[in-house]
Amino acid sequence: MNAKTRSLSRRAFLRGTGLALALPWMETFSAGAFSKNDAPRRFLSVYHPDGVGLPLKSDPAWEDWSWFPRGGEKDFTLTKVLDVLEPLRNDITIYSGLSHPAARQVHGHSNADQYLTGAAIGGQGTYQNTISLDQVYVERIGDLTRHASLVLSTNGGVGAPRGAQTQSFNREGRPIPAMNKPRQIFEMLFVTSGRDAAERLSRSKSALDLLIENSRSLRRQLSSRDQETLQHYLDAVRDTEVKLAKAQRWIDTPLPQVDARNLNLDAEPKEARIFFQTMYELVYLAFLSDSTRVATFQLGRENGEGPHDLLSQAVGLPGAHGLTHAVKKPDGWQNLGTYNRYQAEEFGRFVQRLKDTPEPLGGGNMLDNTFAMHGSASSSFHLSRNYPIISAGGKNLGFSNGRYLKFGKGNEDNQAGAGIVSDAGWSGKVAVEELPLSNLFVTILQRLGVETDSFGGYTGTLSRV
Amino acid sequence: MTRPPKCNSRSSALRERNSGCVICRDGAQGNKVRLRSTAGQNLAVKVLRLAMVLLIGNLSQITASAGQEVPISLGAAKEQGRHKSRFLKEAKLTAQAGDAIAAANVEDFERIVGPVLTKSCLGCHGPKKAEGRLRVDQLNADVPSGPDIERWREVYNVLTKAEMPPDDSKEAKLSEEERGKIVLWLGEELHKASVIRRSSKAESSFRRLTKDEYNYALQDLLGVEVEFANKLPPETASEDGFKNRSDLLQMSATQFQAYREIGLNALNRAVVRGAQPQTVTYRILMKEQMKVAASAKGAKTFDKDHANYKKLRNEPHLLDRETGLAVHNPSLSTPPQQNISIEPPLPLSSVVWALPQAGELKLNLDRFLPDEGIMRVRIRAGRSSMNSNEYASLRLVFSAHTSNNASFSQTISSRDIPVTASAEAPEFIQFDIPLNDIQRNPFRKLATQFPRRDEFLHIKNISNAHGGEERLSVLINDVEICAPFYEQWPPRSHQNIFFESEHKGDERLYGREVLGSFLRRAWRRPVSAEEVDPYMVLFERYRPGFPNFEEAMAEVLATALASPEFLYLTPRRSLEGGNAGQSRIDELAFASRLAVFLWASLPDEELMQLAEVGKLREPAILTAQVSRMLEDPRSKRFSRLFVDQWLGLERINSVAHLNDGALREAMLAEPVALFEEVLKSGGSVMDFIDCNYAMLNERLAAHYQIPNIYGPDFRKVSITRQTNRGGLLTCAAMLTINSDGKDSHPVKRGVWLLQRILHDPPPPPPPNVPQVDLTDPEILKMTLKERIENHRNQPACASCHSRIDPWGVAFENYDALGVFRTSIKDRPVDATSELFSHQRLAGIDGLKRYLLMERQDQFAEAMVHKLTAYALGRPLSLGDRVDLEKLTAEMRRQNDRLSDLIQRIVSSDIFNSKE
Repeated sequence: MNAKTRSLSRRAFLRGTGLALALPWMETFSAGAFSKNDAPRRFLSVYHPDGVGLPLKSDPAWEDWSWFPRGGEKDFTLTKVLDVLEPLRNDITIYSGLSHPAARQVHGHSNADQYLTGAAIGGQGTYQNTISLDQVYVERIGDLTRHASLVLSTNGGVGAPRGAQTQSFNREGRPIPAMNKPRQIFEMLFVTSGRDAAERLSRSKSALDLLIENSRSLRRQLSSRDQETLQHYLDAVRDTEVKLAKAQRWIDTPLPQVDARNLNLDAEPKEARIFFQTMYELVYLAFLSDSTRVATFQLGRENGEGPHDLLSQAVGLPGAHGLTHAVKKPDGWQNLGTYNRYQAEEFGRFVQRLKDTPEPLGGGNMLDNTFAMHGSASSSFHLSRNYPIISAGGKNLGFSNGRYLKFGKGNEDNQAGAGIVSDAGWSGKVAVEELPLSNLFVTILQRLGVETDSFGGYTGTLSRV
Repeated sequence: MTRPPKCNSRSSALRERNSGCVICRDGAQGNKVRLRSTAGQNLAVKVLRLAMVLLIGNLSQITASAGQEVPISLGAAKEQGRHKSRFLKEAKLTAQAGDAIAAANVEDFERIVGPVLTKSCLGCHGPKKAEGRLRVDQLNADVPSGPDIERWREVYNVLTKAEMPPDDSKEAKLSEEERGKIVLWLGEELHKASVIRRSSKAESSFRRLTKDEYNYALQDLLGVEVEFANKLPPETASEDGFKNRSDLLQMSATQFQAYREIGLNALNRAVVRGAQPQTVTYRILMKEQMKVAASAKGAKTFDKDHANYKKLRNEPHLLDRETGLAVHNPSLSTPPQQNISIEPPLPLSSVVWALPQAGELKLNLDRFLPDEGIMRVRIRAGRSSMNSNEYASLRLVFSAHTSNNASFSQTISSRDIPVTASAEAPEFIQFDIPLNDIQRNPFRKLATQFPRRDEFLHIKNISNAHGGEERLSVLINDVEICAPFYEQWPPRSHQNIFFESEHKGDERLYGREVLGSFLRRAWRRPVSAEEVDPYMVLFERYRPGFPNFEEAMAEVLATALASPEFLYLTPRRSLEGGNAGQSRIDELAFASRLAVFLWASLPDEELMQLAEVGKLREPAILTAQVSRMLEDPRSKRFSRLFVDQWLGLERINSVAHLNDGALREAMLAEPVALFEEVLKSGGSVMDFIDCNYAMLNERLAAHYQIPNIYGPDFRKVSITRQTNRGGLLTCAAMLTINSDGKDSHPVKRGVWLLQRILHDPPPPPPPNVPQVDLTDPEILKMTLKERIENHRNQPACASCHSRIDPWGVAFENYDALGVFRTSIKDRPVDATSELFSHQRLAGIDGLKRYLLMERQDQFAEAMVHKLTAYALGRPLSLGDRVDLEKLTAEMRRQNDRLSDLIQRIVSSDIFNSKE
């Protein structure tokens, strides 16, 4: 398929969705920067607070409303919580027995901060986080796109230590503020011209020119060996110039033109369905236009009131956080399961959308080049173990889906910590063996093309993935 | 003397002797006084230890040569060992430093040295065996220019350390006279080799500033005390542990971009714009708080007659010292006021907040604290009693609790400030906290009330107050919090850059003035008008994009801070005539090198001015300036950086078995305090091997079980042998970093001693060495020392470990945290070992005695090497040998005075050299 026909089929597809999307930069790339096999590798992580429903086997609700599937690696059965993903069965993988070791005895409410970092942030006192998975990948590919990453959440900003409202942390462990207003996100992606950025860049260029001039005059006073040392400095300045030139390219490239008429950019979390779908759609458009290749999206902060608490209204239920506390009330497990089911449904809709879209810059569909994960840092009630994680896509990255992968030992039925309702649960002894989630992160990073064999202090990949 | 039995059999033999106790009784006789003074349960073990010391002493050549029955004291060893120094005898070598290059003396080799080598060494290092792949019959006799220089250096090292030939060898004997002849000849030849290489420019000291130096340089240049360099990647340490070595300091685009970003942020901290921002002030006067608290609903008041008085008074409370009325832990709050001065101070009153040990005063600041600037916290407080055994200090903690399980708290004061005034005459204690740098409540500006917006300041009493009727409390009269606080407006940091000038109205003229002054300070040299020009061009290019002069100029100045002229230490050639001038750096470059060495920063105005008029290197002036620099508080950076890196102290932060933060701090501080003491008191570097004092604070003294040391400050304390301390070797930090997480680790300790103290690092382990098999039940039964011996007996391991382990075993009386012990798992500690040269060491005293008697020169050379390597910031090579030898000889002649060594280093040829 040549660029033209691909582009045609894409346009045809886009018409079908009711979106007019003009992608002028794509010609630029297909002409030079990328070969056909250079389809961008993308990463998305969606985080939801409060874990999932995990009733005891003895509970009548177990049959339908326990989150984890039943059965083996391939022949698993989805319960009512995840059955909305049945059509995507062969595009997803579900994991059990993974968690970050340092958080296993810390209250679940404190732990959204460390879901993508694995840092030992503890439950109180001094706080220090580390770089998150997505940002490690950003360090490698961030300057290939106009935006290094798209950091989203329902609540926006950074939140508080141990009460994060963002999933992304930089190299120094500082939170990267999340955006939560669809209109702002849209404008950043597709409207803002970047005149300030252009001005800053141009100033930087003059400064670099002057520094190179400075080095030249210094160079004349140095011995030939010291000139070599100074050459490292000059190389660093030149490399910086190259980076600026890349940034300049984005300023000079016209913004993707997206017709926003079908997007509800003023959606708020209380209109849960529309809000959810708009946010996912923005991630989709950002990926499609190659405005970024990395996104994180946090659906609410752990604990407490806030806009995210209204998301459960999408399925006619009151405050989302309250659902986890009310599991022993009539229909409690079912209500929590219904809300989790709804979260899975929206994730599935997004996954389906990627699957239905041909890859603009390579073969296959967009899902094949995207690794999207969905999970939480607690399983049941405040318990920071056995994280409920779903991943989708990534075929071209080396992921094979359609599987339920159990890791660790002693918790084959996901009963450890099931049905707990008191603090004795989350702070209790770790009795079953789980593997560090960082092992999965190393696998992901390697398949995204980052050369590393450890993450967050844990070395090694996860077998079978 | 008969050869002692091999390691394995020896340790079991020793155990027999210990349990047999025959020797104990014999040995103990001469030392009744010491035994009597030793009390309690340790007595038996001490008898054993003493017996071991005596036993080994009898065998060792030290006591044999000293002709005494008991080992000589370490003080005497220090004195006697000093007389053995070759540096105090060989006047000739050192005088040659400036000599012309001499030819190799092959004649003496053929006449004297060759025959001895053939006789004594060929058996093992010849055609038959070639041990260590050395064949003495194949060494090229032209040492200075021949290809075998490295081999010859090895030969020199093993001969001067008496490691070769092994004294159990029947055929390989070397008389002291023969040894002396080889060493003399070889020493001269190596000296010639060094002279040849000296002019060949092997290494360069042209380098960028390290992360620490960059940080301090920015702080001193801008007058803003902020930690700037956290964004920069860590430096790589050399094998000596130093992070300033020219060939290891990297530069990358990421690093360069970080410099640009940090520079601009730093300037934005230093300069201000517009009018002084409104200040927010909280004034908490306890007398006023009492009025509210005592009459509040449910107030828990009490007085001396209260049934629970004894308990209640040891919890925080408001107290009227006149009436005795107290309110138990009321919550305090005061609405902030805008733009009021904190002068004059609030009146003194009889009402105080009584803060007992570990208690706190928690203030709710609500959401009114500004985002930026300095928060000045001023607390007027006194002590409830003046007992000199007790101390109390104040610490600030900042916290927020935004929702359940989403809380944080952080210590924001950089150090605890002691309360020294009496309650009758309380004094101000002042903290300045940069609000930009502390963790804030991100929700403080929310319009809604949840998540919670409040921020809290906690004033804590960190104290050692103990029991007793009148336990020490801190009594606080008032607290004032003011932010953003400015001593003056615009602040001094701003005026340093944007000073008063008659040209202030003319941006071009004034811009040139500002740039000229700033560039001179940042680049440590006067700048010409031509050098200012391009920066003025940049300014004019930037100016339209900014609302005012200062902001545009700050961007330009930030560029100057990313220039190699700021980031690098440039060895600019001196313009003086003659050969000396050609190879020397100019005075300004010298001033920079000096300031980086002793302050880890830029030269100050005084050094700059002296350098500009070419007077800094005049001997009397230089000596006075170095003394001034060492007395300046900035020299603390030198002590800390040098000692941390020399001894590898950073590792203490990743030691798993040390969880007590206060102990960790104290451990880290001890070696630095000892270094500073030796430096400032004109002491000898031999004090690092052993001395009769220790630098201690309360926490560390408690760890060492030394009584009656109170308070957090380090001070010099006289000690006796019984404390088992003195010098660096027994500092808890060394022993802790060289442990394995559970127990002592003799191999690590041995390597550490060789590498850091004796500058004789063992080679790295070869590939494919067999691991100690911990699944073998026989091995599991062994003590650590036995395991090490077992490992050492394997041929692949023996050659290295026999040179490492014995050193480390001598430390076995110290556990993983450096606490002295006499038994391990109910078995007496066996800290005896035998060096490769068959010298026997009995515990730490034996080790120290041996070092002082036999290895003073080696340690002196090591010390000179380490300090010079740090001072130059480049690798040292054979070409530096001449200068190092000269420095060592000079230091030894000056009674090994550390301060003298520093003076000599800065006036040495290598420190002044362009390379």
